[in-house]
Amino acid sequence: MSTTVTQDMSFLHLISSASLLVQLVMLILVLISLSSWWFIFRKLFVIRYEIKKTDEFEDIFWRGVDLNALHQRIISSRYESGSLERIFAAGFGEFNKHPVGSDLDAVMESTRRAMRATYQREMDHLESHLSFLATVGSVSPYIGLLGTVWGIMNSFRSLSSVTQATIAHVAPGIAEALIATAMGLFAAIPAVVAYNRYASRTDQLATRFESFMEELSNVLQRRAAE
Amino acid sequence: MSVSVLRNSSPSEPRILLAGVLALLVHLIFVAIMIFGLDWKDHPPEGMVVDIWTELPKPIQEPVKTQPPPKQPKPVPEPVKPKPEPEPTKPEPPKPEPAKPEPVKPEPVKPAPQKAVVEPPVKKPDIALKQKPEPIKETKPDLEEQKKKEQEKIKEQERLKDLEKQKELEKKKELEKQKELEKKKELDKQKELEKQKELEKQKELQKQKEKDLAAQQQREREAKAQREADAKRAAQQAAARNQVTNEISKYKALILAKIKSRIVMPPDLPGNPVAEFNVTLLPGGDILDVRVSKSSGHAVFDNAVERAIFLSKPLPLPPDPALFNEFRNLNITVHYRE
Repeated sequence: MSTTVTQDMSFLHLISSASLLVQLVMLILVLISLSSWWFIFRKLFVIRYEIKKTDEFEDIFWRGVDLNALHQRIISSRYESGSLERIFAAGFGEFNKHPVGSDLDAVMESTRRAMRATYQREMDHLESHLSFLATVGSVSPYIGLLGTVWGIMNSFRSLSSVTQATIAHVAPGIAEALIATAMGLFAAIPAVVAYNRYASRTDQLATRFESFMEELSNVLQRRAAE
Repeated sequence: MSVSVLRNSSPSEPRILLAGVLALLVHLIFVAIMIFGLDWKDHPPEGMVVDIWTELPKPIQEPVKTQPPPKQPKPVPEPVKPKPEPEPTKPEPPKPEPAKPEPVKPEPVKPAPQKAVVEPPVKKPDIALKQKPEPIKETKPDLEEQKKKEQEKIKEQERLKDLEKQKELEKKKELEKQKELEKKKELDKQKELEKQKELEKQKELQKQKEKDLAAQQQREREAKAQREADAKRAAQQAAARNQVTNEISKYKALILAKIKSRIVMPPDLPGNPVAEFNVTLLPGGDILDVRVSKSSGHAVFDNAVERAIFLSKPLPLPPDPALFNEFRNLNITVHYRE
């Protein structure tokens, strides 16, 4: 956006000639943008990995594998396991701890609690940093706007010392100032897009986890009743 | 046991570093687009120029026929200024010229008589010294005469003879001296004559110089008259072409004003830098080329002016195509502060 305004001046020259506060705002925006993009890519990889692992585990689980063997394999390779595998391991481990013949309702209740606790932890992990992206998306345009307003204030103040006021006296200052807004928007737009996309993906994963928990408790209840 | 193990195992996050590298990459790409995107826009399109040239060969030939007008600037300003200047200056030089030779002439005249006066007195004492020792020698032989009368007589005779000889010698010497004096006088006269001749010659030279000066003055007057006549003609011509020059200067001022109105002055440059540009125009006011003939030293200011020149096209040109030659190569000087 600012590129059309700064057609006559070099981009770097405009940034270097801006006032201190505008430069500070630009620096903050650059740092915010860098970290937001870092989190965007991190969350991208994490969510992709979780979806892939969940698909794989559901595929294996519904093929009718021996649950004990599956549980053993998950515990042995726990650092490579996905969220859904860990929820299964927590629930199945809790279910197996109860001796055969104990109260079914109590067993199922404790199993469900164990699974829910793991589910909460996993969802917390998945949703971590998403709030940061939301904050960047909402706040960085305002930070950029602050820099712009300050820069325009300065350029108008310098206009007061000139007898013959032309747009030429104000234009460079405004061009500088608008760079701050451009940077704020540059940081905000991908953050908002990423936040919405990742939020919907984690919601999808959460519903899949919850439905799996219900199904697993049904499977375990049937197994206990036998 | 197994549950506690699971709880402690923090969920492994894949490829954190790759994410950081990708984030940096995105920003680098963005900055590169910003910088190079600006560079692309800095280059003005150049294809326009070729089409205009092919359309306008005839209007270029017409102004060639009416090229005499460009002579105006030469006679108009030049003859008008020199006329007042030579009138006071030329009468002045002839006055100092005769004044200088006059003091020079008396100088050679004075030293000549001084030499003539000094020389004779120097020779006179020489003669007196020679005469005095001679009578002293004569007294000594007188004592010998008293002892021997015969000898005295003979000696007297001899003395007389000697005296006569001496007298003759003296006479001869006197004659010689007289001759010498006469010669000196003659020489002096000759010298005086020569001096007179020299003076006459100098006078003649002076007269000649005066004549020459008079002739020169006459020539100068004639030249002045001619110049005045030329100036009158030039003035008539200038009057005839005043309208043309007025129009040219008017449109040059219009062009400069238009360019100045488009300049985006960079703020806070020190001093008053001046940028000079050589602008090549096409008929119709389009700009073919802009070259910096003298940079202001501030690239920002130069660029601003150059941009303003391009922005202000088409430049205002007089409707008469014959005047376009005055605008083909424009020199534009822009001051930072006016």
